[in-house]
Amino acid sequence: MIFYIIRRFLFLPIILLGISLIIFVLFSRLSEYQRLATYINNPERLKSTDLDKLIELYGLRDPAIIQYGRWLKNVFSGNLGWSYVGKEPVYNAILRRFPFSVELTIFSVIPIILLGTWFGVLSAIHHNRPLDHTLRIFSVVGWSFPDFVFGLFILMIFYSSLNWFPPGNLSIWASDILKTSLFRSYTGMLTIDSLLNRRLDIFFDALRHLIGPVITLTYVELAFILRITRSSMLEVLQKDYIRTARAKGLSEKVVINKHAKRNAMIPVATVSGQTVLGLLSGTVIVETIFNRTGLGSFMALAAQQLDYASIMGGTLFFGFILIIGNLIVDVSYAVIDPRVRLE
Amino acid sequence: MNESVLLKTKHLTKFFPVKTGVFRRTSGWVKAVDDVSFQVYPGETFGIVGESGCGKSTLGMTILRLIEPTSGSVFFEDRDVTTLSSSQLLRFRKNIQMIFQDPFSSLNPRMRVGSIIGEGMTVHGVGARSNREFIVRTLLEKVGLQADSFDRYPHEFSGGQRQRIGIARALAISPKLIIADEAVSALDVSIRSQIINLMADLKTEFQLTYLFISHDLSVVKHLCDRIMVMYLGKTMEITTREILFCRPLHPYTVSLISAVPVPDPDYHINRILLLGDVPSPVHPPSGCRFHTRCPVTRKKCETDEPLLIEQEPFHFVACHYPGTLAISVPLILTSDSTL
Repeated sequence: MIFYIIRRFLFLPIILLGISLIIFVLFSRLSEYQRLATYINNPERLKSTDLDKLIELYGLRDPAIIQYGRWLKNVFSGNLGWSYVGKEPVYNAILRRFPFSVELTIFSVIPIILLGTWFGVLSAIHHNRPLDHTLRIFSVVGWSFPDFVFGLFILMIFYSSLNWFPPGNLSIWASDILKTSLFRSYTGMLTIDSLLNRRLDIFFDALRHLIGPVITLTYVELAFILRITRSSMLEVLQKDYIRTARAKGLSEKVVINKHAKRNAMIPVATVSGQTVLGLLSGTVIVETIFNRTGLGSFMALAAQQLDYASIMGGTLFFGFILIIGNLIVDVSYAVIDPRVRLE
Repeated sequence: MNESVLLKTKHLTKFFPVKTGVFRRTSGWVKAVDDVSFQVYPGETFGIVGESGCGKSTLGMTILRLIEPTSGSVFFEDRDVTTLSSSQLLRFRKNIQMIFQDPFSSLNPRMRVGSIIGEGMTVHGVGARSNREFIVRTLLEKVGLQADSFDRYPHEFSGGQRQRIGIARALAISPKLIIADEAVSALDVSIRSQIINLMADLKTEFQLTYLFISHDLSVVKHLCDRIMVMYLGKTMEITTREILFCRPLHPYTVSLISAVPVPDPDYHINRILLLGDVPSPVHPPSGCRFHTRCPVTRKKCETDEPLLIEQEPFHFVACHYPGTLAISVPLILTSDSTL
């Protein structure tokens, strides 16, 4: 297995090169003037400067391959460029925002997986009975809801009407404290940092801001895990070894928990891994709706403004995360299922 | 034959509903097992034969109540199994263990062989806890596997080896009766004979009683003391092996026996070919269920259902005209020296 992991790591740079090349080719289709826009942070300057001179200066008319080589050289020296949207280096912009997305993902994935598998198993045990139908309707409704619609509902109810769960990452008073030297940042995740700083008030404030997006993501993503669990569980319950277990004289509880569930969880584990990865890179809409700082909303903004340094850097970063994540999923697959051997 | 009866079924019946249409209304019933009564005596091997789909496996699972019977009763050592509460049933299953047909799907792929075999012992409290691993390892050796199979997973074994694991599993809680449901059908011929011999050896060693379900007459002939022939959920004939293969009285049994291949190219038998397919168990034929395919059917067979009658000592036949169709030579016995 260790060789398998090493081999996968050897592929990592090749895949990343491929990703960056595709993005670069797409961007080279834009005109030099459009690409130059990312270098100009003040519209006033457009009047006073000679655009062609700037294009010459940044080498935007060079052949694409040379420009790509230049970008690659910068990447290797740790320079991903200047983020026009973030008004800081791309590298810093990503590292500062990523923990927020991780935090949202962690808080969402726990209820998604716990509720999804629980409901899925219940649904399978009560196959074609009222509870099964209820759970399935509940989950299909969630699945068919666009997350921006459901997110707006949540905002309307819990923010506009009840004022329980406001949008954003933190209240103003809390973010003011964060800026002072009293608050030290350890992980970049607000809930964890506030606990490490022994600021329970900030912890609960951060939590309050998380609940809305977490409910939205949970309800929208739950159906997938539920349905996978349900169908996998139904399949396993038909298996001969379940009949064997019953014939041994095991109680129904042991048959379900020990024999059926463990086998049914194998496909669920893979799908859960995909869900985590999907959430990490796919919280764009939810972060935007709830006005949260995060990598998703950052990328959305960068795409709107054609901030190609940020897009290239962010894509590279997502590629990296996805590859590592998939590797973890594959390895855990071999750990859960003794029949799988990674070679 | 012993006086005491280990297992007895009385008018055991299992109908499965056939659901059709949008509203899944029950439009009919598959009569998988229809009014089957037989007795199994301690220490014997009782065989149940019949074509696929005649209800053999359903019958086996109904006895353990893995499938709930529609009506009728099952007595095990004079206790009515069908009236046991669910917790009593779990404890009762210690007495009867099953060996299943498919050795690939009947073992939990995520459990080690040791826990597969040992789990039943834990549940039923067989043996001291500290002793269980030793018992399992001994059992593994008894069924012809290495003791170090204990820590391995089922997928690491071949079909024959897996069936040995299945047998060890069934033996682990020392049941009184083992129901072998097509236990050797999935194995290839060379392995099959090994497993059959193993089962025969274990029977002597552990003083077991077998209920052996099979569609293979030659296997049944080799292993069973008494045999029941089933057709479309009904009993056709029950008798001892010797009588069944020498002097079968039911036309269906006769045609089954005549179809067994004989490993002698010069030996010509008059095979009795049954025409047509097995009728649907949803709408079984009136009268005798076999009359649509019986070579010697008469008027009465279409209207009156024959009862299972003891035509001669230990020989029960459900036929209006037993013995009409006969095999000219008792071919199986003459061509096989093992009997």
